[in-house]
Amino acid sequence: MGIMNMQSVQGIAFLLGDHINTDLHCSGKYLPGKSIEQIAEIAFDSVSPGLAKAIINGGGGILVAGENFGINSSREQAVQVLKMMKVKGIIAKSFGRQFFRNAINNGLAILECDTSSIKEGIDLTINFQGGVVHLADGSVLPANKLPREILALIEYGGLIPFLAKHPDWKFST
Amino acid sequence: MGLTISEKILAQHAGLEKVAAGDVVVCDVDYAMVTDTRASNTIKLIDKIGVKDLHFAKKTSLVMDHYSPPPNLEAAEIHTQMRSFANKMGTTLYDIGDGICHQVLPEGGHLTAGNLVVGTDTHSVSYGAFNAFGTGIEGTDISAVMSTGKLWFRVPETIKVSLNGPLQAGVWAKDVTLHMLGRFGAEGLNYKAIEYVGDAVAQMNIDDRMTLCNHAAELGAKAAILEADNKTTDWLKAHGAATPKPVFADADAVYTDIIQLDTKNLTPQVARKHQVDDIVAAHEVRGQKIQFALIGTCTNGRLDDIRQAAAILKGKKLASGVRMIVTPASRKIYIDALQEGLIEILTMAGASFEAAGCGTCVGITNHLVPGNGDTVISTANRNFKGRLSNPDAEIWLGSAATVAASALTGFITDPRTIEGGDWRATSWA
Repeated sequence: MGIMNMQSVQGIAFLLGDHINTDLHCSGKYLPGKSIEQIAEIAFDSVSPGLAKAIINGGGGILVAGENFGINSSREQAVQVLKMMKVKGIIAKSFGRQFFRNAINNGLAILECDTSSIKEGIDLTINFQGGVVHLADGSVLPANKLPREILALIEYGGLIPFLAKHPDWKFST
Repeated sequence: MGLTISEKILAQHAGLEKVAAGDVVVCDVDYAMVTDTRASNTIKLIDKIGVKDLHFAKKTSLVMDHYSPPPNLEAAEIHTQMRSFANKMGTTLYDIGDGICHQVLPEGGHLTAGNLVVGTDTHSVSYGAFNAFGTGIEGTDISAVMSTGKLWFRVPETIKVSLNGPLQAGVWAKDVTLHMLGRFGAEGLNYKAIEYVGDAVAQMNIDDRMTLCNHAAELGAKAAILEADNKTTDWLKAHGAATPKPVFADADAVYTDIIQLDTKNLTPQVARKHQVDDIVAAHEVRGQKIQFALIGTCTNGRLDDIRQAAAILKGKKLASGVRMIVTPASRKIYIDALQEGLIEILTMAGASFEAAGCGTCVGITNHLVPGNGDTVISTANRNFKGRLSNPDAEIWLGSAATVAASALTGFITDPRTIEGGDWRATSWA
């Protein structure tokens, strides 16, 4: 299995606000009987109508959110919905604890950064090794650099693929 | 620089001398728990990983609580799958009505002071009441734990909160945690570990300490942990737990914040509808009518909660038009309440008892559905709109004493105002 190149992730910014919780916006809890594929098409519709379709049709993108993205219900499905939408990565001022963990465990690129100056549709690059975000207008935003162990988990595509290669939990240096 | 309780437990389980907040460590887990909401996915993932000999199964409990009793065929089939998996792999199984995961784990003697315990439920922070580091995880995490006995953790920053009491009669841990939510906001302590200290903690019995730690989930905390004292070690021994290995913070431990709370003057608190952090004193919302009163859940479904309700409702009747449901947090509590005569007192007052489980907290089992426009006062930990399957009902939160007092009057009521409420009936022992 190939390891993702985690030097950087590049894409178009799709903006979301503060306190986007998993219960109402990207979980199946209130959508009984709906599959992940169906939920992916309408995720976030109540806060940003058409956003999910735009990301899917555009072949992916980077979600840019404010405070506390992914709070409330801890379900892992919220991350799987984002992957189904072809979201390449997500940056926010802060994340709900379990959402952050689920993103890492499922190999979704994630980083904490002050996102307030990022404009909708701008091209941006998340530089994981440097712990910064580059915007197409030349500006550079500092971010909370991820520890190498967490980067490794994301690079392998998540915890289960990582353990398939490293059942002893050894993170190579 | 010294270590906090959380840092020390994580360091010990990672085989390290010390760790610092922000470090990522791989720890040996002492015990794991899977509820019925995550069991199916977990079993599937373990199958995918393909580990044949699941050593850790012996240190895992599967608990049927969210779907207790199962509301539909899908839930019933998940339970069938859990029984078969437990039988094959040797995990401990708690079946329908045995109780809520966070109650049956300590009651079953599965954890002790100094342990590292994970569970597929946010309120796994409850185990901190026993000086264990307990935290909530998801399906991928639990399948990794069951396959390897280990899990990765980011070491959380610790905040120390000193509860300077003692608490007045009629004021409980629930009121303290609601006050904390009002002060810090929901998710206000995201990622952090809370160490609660102070004479109000020393005063609380184990039931109340479990409430204190349990509710930290709504603060976003990764863990909420107490020092072990004689009450802790006596309780653990009485429940057949392994020898406690109490962990204390170093005198020079580093906290990101130290908060002093005056709990001596704290009065009964309630969370208003829809928002767990919209907190007011119970006496400030006098006149707020209620139709449903619920006592139960992993937050406040313990014997002491049922005792509080019985102390208020003994020899009395619920207010006209009020329905009251009690779900003990475990079968053991159900039996204890029965033997103490509490079920008779509450049933004669007009309350109904339902199976132990999560039914009065989250609208999965259809234990109850409030009608449109109904106001519910509940001992649960969450009151999000629609939590009990009806977005057109309101859910307010309070202690068992506040819920019982409100059921008696038909209005949200400060339990201290009820004449004849015998607080001596509740044990501070």
